[in-house]
Amino acid sequence: MTKPSDGDDQSFAEVVNNLSSGPWFVGRRRKKLATSPSARPPAPVSEPSASEPPAPAPAGSDEWTEPATASSVVRPYTWTGGRTSPVVDLAMETLVSTAASAFTTAPPASAEHRAVARLCRAPRSVAEVAALLSLPLGVARVLLADMSELGLVVVHRAANGSGDLPDIALMERVLSGLRRL
Amino acid sequence: MGTQMGTQAGSLVAAVRSGPPAARPSEGGPSVMSAKIVVGGGFGAGKTTFVGSVSEIAPLTTEAVLTDASTSVDDLAATPDKSTTTVAMDFGRLSLDAELILYLFGTPGQHRFWFMWDDLVRGAIGAVVLVDTRRLADCFAAVDFFEDRGLPYVVGVNCFDGVLGHSVEDVREALAIEPAVPIIPCDARERGSTKNILIALVEHAMRRSVAARA
Repeated sequence: MTKPSDGDDQSFAEVVNNLSSGPWFVGRRRKKLATSPSARPPAPVSEPSASEPPAPAPAGSDEWTEPATASSVVRPYTWTGGRTSPVVDLAMETLVSTAASAFTTAPPASAEHRAVARLCRAPRSVAEVAALLSLPLGVARVLLADMSELGLVVVHRAANGSGDLPDIALMERVLSGLRRL
Repeated sequence: MGTQMGTQAGSLVAAVRSGPPAARPSEGGPSVMSAKIVVGGGFGAGKTTFVGSVSEIAPLTTEAVLTDASTSVDDLAATPDKSTTTVAMDFGRLSLDAELILYLFGTPGQHRFWFMWDDLVRGAIGAVVLVDTRRLADCFAAVDFFEDRGLPYVVGVNCFDGVLGHSVEDVREALAIEPAVPIIPCDARERGSTKNILIALVEHAMRRSVAARA
């Protein structure tokens, strides 16, 4: 994996210095700055939202309302039996929904699978499953991939026709959808 | 797990046994598709506000855990005692029609988490870079990344307090952005403004796509 050529090595101190002494008009640099590793500042401040729990669902909606303490009840990777790699590749926006068979036959044996089955009665993205169950994204991926293998959830087909690029028909649909808003 | 999970499991069984609510063929079938747009920009540029202004749900936060397995990607040498780190991303959801859901993902605030950015841009239609002209340098990393990956992007100049502090051309020059890339003043709090930026992005991405295939 290659890093972009610049930007990330601009230290926090430099940004602050630009703010305080330099003009606002600081052009984007094309060359990487020569900074020694020791000169690196501590990790930059994180977004304030990073420390906040997921927003509670509005009353009356069908959103999953997980108690705030849930993430400490179970260590995340116990949900996956300690595995960290999913058996199928799921993008974070890939939609999953509970398979019809999960309603007609016996409910899934494991509590984790039942929780996902309940959540995904309407299509949810992998990221939503992770956020609403307070699971790290990687854990949700493993869990959903397993459930897909077991036939408990249906993984919706990817919108991009071929390769990693969305096709023009999808973009047209998104565009007309946005215009109708 | 304990009693809490037991109670939930009990209600789940009841819910599952009662079957799905009235079947709505146009909603919830496997034909529903998703699309993704990425929202980048510096800390405090208004990413989460932007996402929240059009999202039908309050923006959610998803986390990825950075473990030892990623240390070859992200150098943790500066903090040797720290073996795991959490990266958080905010996202929102927008149902565009009965079978199409658009997700808006904010980039993680810490730009060093490049591995998450790659995951984010894969399959995305494009990206919006939000710019706060008072802290212009904060968005350099996002612009560089999207250019490097060839992802179509537009720049939204967030007008805090309704004031565009600098002209669009000043911003273009300072960010070294090519003329074809739209730069649009916006108010991240306003749904209509956000909608216009998203439309501009999709139109730009389509132009690029058509040009690339020609």
